[in-house]
Amino acid sequence: MARRTLAGMALAVEAEQLVKHYSGRGGAVEAVRGVDLTVEAGEVFGFLGPNGAGKSTTVRMLTTLMSITSGSARVAGIDVAADPDGARRKIGVALQEAGLDARQTGRELVILQARLFGSSRTQAAGRAQELLELVDLVEAADRRIKGYSGGMKRRLDLASALVHEPEVLFLDEPTTGLDPASRLTVWEELRRINGRGTTIFLTTQYLEEADQLCDRLAIIDDGLIVREGTPADLKTELRERRGLATEPTLDEVFLDVTGRTRERTAGEVQEVQG
Amino acid sequence: MTHAMVLGQRALREAWRTPEALLPTLFIPLFFLVVNVGQAGKIFPTGSTPFLEGQNYAAFQLPSSILLAASFGSAALYLVEDIEGGYFDKLRAAPVSRTAIVLGRLAAEAAKSVAITTAIVLLALPFGISIASGPIGFLLLILLTASWAVVFAGFMQLIALKTRSAAATNSGGLVFFPLLFLTPNFVPRDLLTRPMEIASTYNPVTYIMEGLRSLILEDLAWAPIGRGFAVVAVLGVLMVALNVRTIRRYD
Repeated sequence: MARRTLAGMALAVEAEQLVKHYSGRGGAVEAVRGVDLTVEAGEVFGFLGPNGAGKSTTVRMLTTLMSITSGSARVAGIDVAADPDGARRKIGVALQEAGLDARQTGRELVILQARLFGSSRTQAAGRAQELLELVDLVEAADRRIKGYSGGMKRRLDLASALVHEPEVLFLDEPTTGLDPASRLTVWEELRRINGRGTTIFLTTQYLEEADQLCDRLAIIDDGLIVREGTPADLKTELRERRGLATEPTLDEVFLDVTGRTRERTAGEVQEVQG
Repeated sequence: MTHAMVLGQRALREAWRTPEALLPTLFIPLFFLVVNVGQAGKIFPTGSTPFLEGQNYAAFQLPSSILLAASFGSAALYLVEDIEGGYFDKLRAAPVSRTAIVLGRLAAEAAKSVAITTAIVLLALPFGISIASGPIGFLLLILLTASWAVVFAGFMQLIALKTRSAAATNSGGLVFFPLLFLTPNFVPRDLLTRPMEIASTYNPVTYIMEGLRSLILEDLAWAPIGRGFAVVAVLGVLMVALNVRTIRRYD
């Protein structure tokens, strides 16, 4: 049973003081240092941060792929550490690398995924057809995946994450490496999926993407959430605090929050703390 | 069990669609059979070599080739591809038992081994080899070899899961060669030098080889056959348990 906010909204994702430490070659790494998060059911929630900030680690903990050092996380009301299989039944996952088996055809892959979520052979075939239509891959469905373009692979990955009609869909940088046309196609798919009631938890490095898609977002830096709110609220807060004449962009919010300058973000030598 | 079957079917499709990876597992063992018999066949003539039980030296050498064919462990390399490509995480994020993830690939490895071992035995028949233990013995030979294939693939998968590296997994597979050569590979155990005899006694592959050899050279002799199956049963359970534990702890 999903828990609710004070306003009575059901919670799709809750994390309390989520921590992940692990041993790297250079010693102990504190990848996530106490993340608190709540995502309401039906939201598109953006999770932003610079490279190495802890985005993917947080997502991997929420999706049962990584153990939690301390703290707790619930997805669709289920504790991911106490009942990982229960949580897996409620979530769909599409990670940074499109997790596909290039030797299978698109249809075989989706059918296999549906069977792993308990569908019979016939049900799985029907569901695969539905999803391949949803992501516009029917024509390519019986070709091996190794011949697919990057955009087709992303869409197929999305389809395979949806076989069991998950309550929460986790997407880790779903449009990284895609050309602008493919990116727009993925955005359309995500809006359509969200329109059917699926909560979307999205990490991205593209701030325009977050601005276009997300109802609310959080910015993580150095393993901690440093800002959270709607894109409009975050921009307004920066405009008022800095006394800006015009509404700032989400890029400017991001740079302000993470204490980075454009030069540093772009990889220049000069580094100025904000 | 359904999950293991579905994943096993997928692993078989994967192997079928990569014939270039499958063919060497057939031809390299046959090459070893021809070369070993060519080098040592004249030293052990059929009429004056009691341990051949009336067959030729190729029959004595056949278990080595069969075991070599069952020890390529290609399943582990496909697993590394899954790990590197992100598909393994996709499986881990599904409500699939970790045992099914392990058993799916191992079952496919057993099925591949049945096909390859049958082909090798059939191709060896023109060399004058026969299976002295008859049709039941032939089935036991296939079963014992496929069980060893599961054990070795399990071992290779462990390396793949621990290292997540194709290079390390490939190198790990080479451990089979010392294991193969520390067996009564060319002559029975009682004809080995003392140090080799001791080494082969502690080598589990020895008992599988002796089981296979008895099925080829003798009527059903349950003692060596039983020892062979006992060894693969113990190692099989151990490998599956270690694989499942490693996947459960995989971060």
